[in-house]
Amino acid sequence: MVFDEIYKTYWNKVFRICMGYVNDHDWAKDIAQETFVTIWQQLPKFRGEAAIGTWIFRIASNNCLRQIERQNRMPRSDMPEQIAEHIEHDREPQVQFLYKCIAELPETDRLIISLELEDVKQAEIAKIVGLSETNIRVKVYRIKERLAKKFENYER
Amino acid sequence: MSAEVDLKALWNKEEAKDMPDTKELLKKADRVRKLTRIKLITQTLILLATVAVLLTVGFRIDHEQVTTVIGLVLMIIAIVSYLAVANQLLPMLFKSDIGGSSQDYLNQLIRIKRKNEFINKVMINIYFGLLSLGVFLYSLQFVKRMSTGWEVFYYVMVFGWMGFSWFWSRPRGVKKKQKPLNDIIERLEAVNKQLGDSD
Repeated sequence: MVFDEIYKTYWNKVFRICMGYVNDHDWAKDIAQETFVTIWQQLPKFRGEAAIGTWIFRIASNNCLRQIERQNRMPRSDMPEQIAEHIEHDREPQVQFLYKCIAELPETDRLIISLELEDVKQAEIAKIVGLSETNIRVKVYRIKERLAKKFENYER
Repeated sequence: MSAEVDLKALWNKEEAKDMPDTKELLKKADRVRKLTRIKLITQTLILLATVAVLLTVGFRIDHEQVTTVIGLVLMIIAIVSYLAVANQLLPMLFKSDIGGSSQDYLNQLIRIKRKNEFINKVMINIYFGLLSLGVFLYSLQFVKRMSTGWEVFYYVMVFGWMGFSWFWSRPRGVKKKQKPLNDIIERLEAVNKQLGDSD
């Protein structure tokens, strides 16, 4: 698969995963771009040990986790409300709420549920995250339950 | 409609409307690569220049005693090794494979940060130790030419400075570098623990 094709196919998927992780449009875009820069650099070394999608999502997930090292970035929740509102004016409230809820989960749960919602098979998620498939299944179930509860309260 | 379908539908509504052009992205990649290369070259040049200056200045002076040369060499080793480590000129020590699983990657990051922490601590001790010893040995030849009064004054000053560096500056230097590293290690470990919780 050539880079152009990968970029077009995976840009939005990778962006959404980053967005689920940080819930900040610009920051997510930066991480997505870094991910594709890494993919572009490492593509010649890719030997196909894993499916290309698994490999791409691994790089995206790890790039998200790398944000732990960057302490100085201001989290979305710390922004003055006016600015936050201004940025989000064209997003559906429910979509905003979903991404907000996901970004509030523990870091690895954010990745797991993002991959699940991105329709990645649980066997693949297990390979991306490094856990067993059973473990992923349990985690996905619990996270969904948690999100559903939050949505119930939100809709009330 | 089930909650799952709802979530997926909502999830897919998010899009980065302004997908950067491939050319723009590759330009960025190229810029990053060039910057890394320039940084590495600059750091190496600074290191070489430091060594050159020290060597030129040091060896222009008469060396009546072997201690002067040993002192000079120790000082150079101290400065060069400190700069090399501080600028992470040993990339093989800090390499990570971003294409691995999250768990592997987190473990790698933790290992790298721990290595960093250890190297910082050890390097700062080596740096102060070698530099102090180097200054002391280097100056022996010149102190011999002084009167007893000046000699005593000199040793008081030198040992005073060494004591101050060792007991005041060094612990502070170590602490200043360790704090952000420890914070990161702590957070990485907390995230890694999330994967260990096989609930």
